[in-house]
Amino acid sequence: MIKQIFKNLTTRKNTIDVPELLALSPESVAHFVNLQKGIDGIFNRSLRIRQIDAGSCNACEWECTALTNPIYDIQRFGIDFVASPRHADMLLITGPVSRQMELALKKTCLATPEPRIVVACGDCAVDGGIYKGSYAVTNGVSNIIPVDFYIQGCPPNPMQIIIGIKELIEYLKVKV
Amino acid sequence: MEEIINKAVKTKRLFNELYIEVRKDDFKEACVYLYGKKRAILRLMFATDEREIDTAFKIYTVFSVPGTDKFHIIVLPLKDDLIFPSITPDIPAAHWYEREIRDMFGLTPKGHPDLRRLVLHDSFPCNSFPLRKDWNITEPELKEWGKGLVQKEPYSFMKVEGEGIYEIPVGPVHAGIIEPGHFRFSAVGETIFFLEPRLFYTHKGTEKHFESMSFFDGVKLAERVSGTSSFSHSTAYCMAVERMAGIEITEKAKAVRTLLLELERLYNHIGDIGNMCAGTGLAVGYAGGAVIKEKLMQLNERLAGSRYLRGMNEIGGVSKDIFIQADDILNIINEVTKEYKDFMKLLTGTVSHIERLENTGRLSKDIAVKLGVTGVAARASGINDDIRKAHPHLLYDKLDFEAHTMARGDVFARMMVRAEEAECSISMINALLENRYKGELAASIKEIPPCSSALGYTETPRGSVFYWVMSDKNGRPLRVKFRSPSYCNWPAVPFAVHGNIVPDFPLCNKSFNLSYSGCDM
Ligand code: SF4
Repeated sequence: MIKQIFKNLTTRKNTIDVPELLALSPESVAHFVNLQKGIDGIFNRSLRIRQIDAGSCNACEWECTALTNPIYDIQRFGIDFVASPRHADMLLITGPVSRQMELALKKTCLATPEPRIVVACGDCAVDGGIYKGSYAVTNGVSNIIPVDFYIQGCPPNPMQIIIGIKELIEYLKVKV
Repeated sequence: MEEIINKAVKTKRLFNELYIEVRKDDFKEACVYLYGKKRAILRLMFATDEREIDTAFKIYTVFSVPGTDKFHIIVLPLKDDLIFPSITPDIPAAHWYEREIRDMFGLTPKGHPDLRRLVLHDSFPCNSFPLRKDWNITEPELKEWGKGLVQKEPYSFMKVEGEGIYEIPVGPVHAGIIEPGHFRFSAVGETIFFLEPRLFYTHKGTEKHFESMSFFDGVKLAERVSGTSSFSHSTAYCMAVERMAGIEITEKAKAVRTLLLELERLYNHIGDIGNMCAGTGLAVGYAGGAVIKEKLMQLNERLAGSRYLRGMNEIGGVSKDIFIQADDILNIINEVTKEYKDFMKLLTGTVSHIERLENTGRLSKDIAVKLGVTGVAARASGINDDIRKAHPHLLYDKLDFEAHTMARGDVFARMMVRAEEAECSISMINALLENRYKGELAASIKEIPPCSSALGYTETPRGSVFYWVMSDKNGRPLRVKFRSPSYCNWPAVPFAVHGNIVPDFPLCNKSFNLSYSGCDM
């Protein structure tokens, strides 16, 4: 443990090369700057997300989890995932909404204080994705609760989710 | 063996599958004989609606006898009388399968000790069986199911009564970024006396959905059954369809699949070991695991264009030759090996972490055998069972590896088994990259023979996965049955957490790392 701490103190190198998208393209740097500004401005430096799995295959969740790892580390922008819907500004919903989760999703949504933003994340959440048409799913979040924003991909990778959140913030700026 | 075969109505052999059709009176006896005398493992049990072809529902029970690469499949046709003798009293591992058959087909297992619904929740209409071919349901009924307000067949949780016992209901929506499931603890003080999980919230009708697409499109769906086992699921599915179509894939395709299976195992195992640290509050371990995992995920993306290795498998082979990128793989694997060693040293050297793992969530071998537990959980409880060894497929018979077991059955054992398997995967990947492989990437298959069936299987990072496919008269899917490892392991979790304290539940749960989506179908 001491060795690890010492290493962290003495080396300034990232533990892993930053993903290409992050490192190279000036646009992604711009994404981050904008994201930071937006969160500082609209959300007073803190955006709290409650993630809800409404029947996803779990890949979408792992990508959300990856957002908090040391590489993407979205906490540095003031974004964090919270445990209770009562603490959340935003609901990030994945999965096609299976019928057996419908009620739980509605209740969780109602437990989130207004104003809340609802984001459907992943192709399944957008319109049912590959599961569209199955008897046990409702073909997307918007059939159950009103959705403000969509992030596509199966699964959207962490960078796509970050870009999605940034775009959402830009959209909010226009609206607010 | 002769005794069963002599009594059989019909037998059929296909590769290593031996189908034995029996009469209703002999069904139970045949299963119990295999299980009791031959120590066979129940791999999978399911029903089909073959009224179109054979005027009967059929029940298939798939056993494999340790030490032989053979599947004994006992088949029981049900014509007029839709009741079959339950084998659960003798073979406890069948308990969920039989309840599922009742839910989905309306065939009743006579003598089953627990006939509550399993897959379908309370507000699903009574006497409505989704996997029957002639099933239909009205839109209002579906809507009502979703609203979940009217209880058609109420589910009663097991009640524990006594002084000082209180109930803690948790879920389906949990605090972390995880999948939904309901847990009901009956606790005495902090100690868990009894836990009843209620799952199947993510039931998406996947098996029925397979029937609505062609076998070729089914690959995409198989990849999306369980996110982190995407590649293993699609491999097992493709294998089943390929066997049914009677084609042998090339050595090259086999090599690519084996390599990717091991890459999938590696990122999962390392990620899981890191995740266990979240359960003990060791943030540095959690972050360390996440970094190595991310590195492997990015490698996946460069290789397959998908962080979950989706789009690589197709019926007949694979879509891309990843051996072209052998240098990239080698580089990353070398880096990962070094980091992983340091990482494990850090974990095993942190006493506060290890102490939490030891003796927590103990699953005894006896219970694990009875419930048919599979994969890491089984091996950590001393069951030497690995599909890669028991039923060699792809290139696994040419590779040198061991199935690691540990006898203690606690969280620590599950971590160490993962750690050893991860190292094993690294050496397998290195060995695979040393050779050159011949052949096309994919064999072309145009048509699927009508009215045929086959089994496909492989070892996912969590345990064995099975697919059984059958085609109808037009060569379209009549039935696609899959059984993910989580389905076998979920019933074991309550036994593992019994006697532990409630705050250790997340840790136990993480040590099994079960998929809800894969289990809920
Ligand atoms: S969008 Fe794709 S990755 Fe996300 S839940 Fe659906 S199938 Fe899984």
